[in-house]
Amino acid sequence: MSKSELERFREMSVAEFFAKYREVAGFSNPVRALYQTVRELVENSLDATDGHGIAPEVRIYIERIDSDRGWCRVTVEDNGIGVPPTVMPEAFGKVLFSSKYVLRQTRGMYGLGVKAAVLYGQVTTGNPVEVQSTTRGSSYIYAKKLYIDMKRNEPVILEEAQFKKNVSWHGTRVSLIIECDWQRAKSRILEYIRRTAIIAPYADILIQTPDGEVLYFPRTTKKMPKPPKTAKPHPHGVDVETLKTMLKATKAKTLLEFLEVEFQSVGRQSALEFLKSIGLRPTMKPKQLLRGENGALVVAMVEAMRSFKFRAPRSDCLSPLGEELIKVGLKRMFNPEWVDAVTRPPRAYQGHPFIVEVGMAYGGSIQPSEEPLLLRYANKIPLLYEEREDVSYKVLSDVNWKQYDVEMPAPLVVLVHVVSTKVPYKGVGKESISDVPELEAEIRNGVLELARRLKRFISAKEREAEVMRKILVLSKYIPEIARSLKVLSKDPGSWKPLEPGEERDIVDALVSLVARNIELPRRGDDSGRSVEDLIRSIISEVRVS
Amino acid sequence: MNVADMVDVEARRKAASILRNTMMRVLEDVLRGRPPKLVIPKRTLSNTIFDPEKGILVLGDEVFERNMLDMGETRRFMQTLLMASIIYQALVENEYPTIRDLYYRGKHTIIYRDLSGGLREENTWDEQAESDSAIRDIEVMSGLLREQMLILSKEKGKVVGNMRIRSGPDVIDLSKLGHGAYAIESTPDLIEFLDVDAEFVLVVEKDAVFQQLHRIGFWRQYKSILVTGAGQPDRATRRFVRRLNEELGLPVYVLTDSDPYGWNIYSVFKVGSITLSYESERLATPKAKFLGVSMTDIFGDVGKKPYLTEAERKNFIIKAKERDIKRAKELMNYTWFQTPRWRKELNMFLEKKVKLEIEALAGKGLKFLAFQYIPEKIQTGDWID
Ligand SMILES: Nc1ncnc2c1ncn2[C@@H]1O[C@H](COP(=O)(O)OP(=O)(O)O)[C@@H](O)[C@H]1O
Ligand SMILES: [Mg+2]
Repeated sequence: MSKSELERFREMSVAEFFAKYREVAGFSNPVRALYQTVRELVENSLDATDGHGIAPEVRIYIERIDSDRGWCRVTVEDNGIGVPPTVMPEAFGKVLFSSKYVLRQTRGMYGLGVKAAVLYGQVTTGNPVEVQSTTRGSSYIYAKKLYIDMKRNEPVILEEAQFKKNVSWHGTRVSLIIECDWQRAKSRILEYIRRTAIIAPYADILIQTPDGEVLYFPRTTKKMPKPPKTAKPHPHGVDVETLKTMLKATKAKTLLEFLEVEFQSVGRQSALEFLKSIGLRPTMKPKQLLRGENGALVVAMVEAMRSFKFRAPRSDCLSPLGEELIKVGLKRMFNPEWVDAVTRPPRAYQGHPFIVEVGMAYGGSIQPSEEPLLLRYANKIPLLYEEREDVSYKVLSDVNWKQYDVEMPAPLVVLVHVVSTKVPYKGVGKESISDVPELEAEIRNGVLELARRLKRFISAKEREAEVMRKILVLSKYIPEIARSLKVLSKDPGSWKPLEPGEERDIVDALVSLVARNIELPRRGDDSGRSVEDLIRSIISEVRVS
Repeated sequence: MNVADMVDVEARRKAASILRNTMMRVLEDVLRGRPPKLVIPKRTLSNTIFDPEKGILVLGDEVFERNMLDMGETRRFMQTLLMASIIYQALVENEYPTIRDLYYRGKHTIIYRDLSGGLREENTWDEQAESDSAIRDIEVMSGLLREQMLILSKEKGKVVGNMRIRSGPDVIDLSKLGHGAYAIESTPDLIEFLDVDAEFVLVVEKDAVFQQLHRIGFWRQYKSILVTGAGQPDRATRRFVRRLNEELGLPVYVLTDSDPYGWNIYSVFKVGSITLSYESERLATPKAKFLGVSMTDIFGDVGKKPYLTEAERKNFIIKAKERDIKRAKELMNYTWFQTPRWRKELNMFLEKKVKLEIEALAGKGLKFLAFQYIPEKIQTGDWID
């Protein structure tokens, strides 16, 4: 065997890996890359705001700075909690560095997003990332220009500065120069922003495009979703590696204490029962478990935990939008005739809590279509691609809309929002959610519940239309009838032709007679419309020609 | 004011008052806040009954209510009242509208706002069929015929004979009309009978036969009054014949073709028409007799010699059409055609399947028709009642 035929091995850093295989993170070409960059920056901004109870203000600027080479500068600015100067280099310059490696519902999860964008900019244009940030308490704004040393996966700071803060701003501003294709990315990006505005109506979002257009989605409500709490893991949701890490890190003296303190949904009683069921002493030291052969004890414990009946996972680590916000979002974007939403009770799959929210809008400015327009969201992130792969699409395809008095094509929008500490995405692209049975059932429950409410609305509307038609038919002849009766009532002895308006008394009698015999269906937003007013307006123009 | 004017004025006063009273019930409902309705006798076949006592077709007592608050009826409710008001006004203002006039007088555009505020237009009525239907509803509701409401229609019937009448301001001698005849006016109730020197009334189906009998001097020779409705008789002709019978006590004989169509014309004179049975009360002449031409006149009967010889029959009779057969079978269903005499006629017709026009008898000789056939049949009582 010659030397040249020998395989040559070497290690690759994660930074190098993502620079080389950038399609894995969604940066496969200048179109996708621009879209993905905007997404990563916007989602970080939203995490830094609504995730901490701050009403978001997000400004997005995309500028074409070198059209020959197709370079853009993407800048996103927010009013979030800011990044402390000490972690700023790593947060933006070290792949897999994150503040979100905890059990809490956030948009970002992996500590990759912004770095993938930085790497892409660095590789395509050679430019560093520029960050300015200031935290809430700080009296300085910190600014840094940095790039990533790919071999070592470490930030390299090119320039840094700090300014005395004489504005009340707190937040972050990130600016990147990347190779991009605005023309072809445009519709995707705008759709992404639009959908974000739907799901976050409490956010104030502005985007300025390279074409000089400014799209502004002002805040439409002050109401905010409750920020998610950090949760401890649920015993059903841990794997062998997680358990090992937890055992190593714990300060608990006994297994009993370990279970009680480090997990959610485990009380003293259930911890004791569980330990008994696998024959472990409650007083055993946690670290002892690690000693078994090949971690056999840890594996056994994970398996046992999965099948033991603990309380269901808590859901306060989740931050659903709530029915009100979903309705507000749909209203502002579609100006529908009817809108409703439902937030389903928390459920869990494989130890991961989740909540399904469904919104539905009908009529108004919605364009009728053969299939309902489906808006999918996971942890408040819009999902734009792979719609047909998604569990929500599957659920919708099973709905027989006719049964709910909806005639296709119909002006119908269905919004499905799944929140979870672990959204069961179908692939690495994170664009569609797989059909986990528990999830599918909840989505179906939500969709069908709203479909039933929609049916009630439609039939009430039809009833109302029927009554309105009746008012119209009964009213339009009133003047004619009144005039005829007046003529017939005149005494032939003192005959004079009818004067205009002479029949007014009969018109009045007929108006109140018809009004008394028609009942308007009750509507929530009734603003004192009376049948009499309606009748008067119908006959207001009546004249004989 | 002369007598004729007074007749007119009186008729108007009466009709106007009845019409007004009928419709004032609706106004009373409105003013009392009750849902107004028109109670209208049904003009359907199922509500058409033969009254054997009176010998005429009458309306049964089925009625329907046209409620203003019933969406499906509101438009017709309006149309009925509109028509009533126009007729009323015409009565009071001394006019004589035709049904076409009434259609135009009532036809106008209603302009209203729909619920979204847009202006909409709708005609009170579009077709004359709609306004005509309103007239009929008013007739049955009020019990007033259009003639009584002084509504004019086309004149079709004619009369000559030994009598003088007053029509409007004029006195007309029906025996002094030369070769012509008096057109029976649309308002036969306004005619006043003056002197009459006649013993019977002969109604002939066909205008041509009427003219022939007139020219040959039939009515002079037999002291009679000669009338034709020229085919299907109009209402005025029927009312006129009825008055001759009822008020002057003259027997009425009807002469038609020997076919189901002719027999039906006789039936209309006698019992009324099926579709407009509400008029019969005033238009039908239940005592009218069918003089001929009967099947037994053609073929003879036990103890009766036929009026036609074998050879004449061959020349004059026509084969019945499918239509005629069907019509005859229909006639057999009507009670007033179920007498033994009529059954014999109809059966004979269905058996022989032939028919005969009166002109054929005239073809045998007008004199035969005028001076032999008709008088002989009247004298010998050879008619069907
Ligand atoms: N706009 C921002 N405001 C505050 N913190 C930010 C912002 N952008 C990024 N960060 C911090 O940088 C970290 C890394 O971001 P990122 O690489 O996108 O990974 P992830 O969002 O998955 O955590 C975040 O976890 C967060 O702590
Ligand atoms: Mg991120």
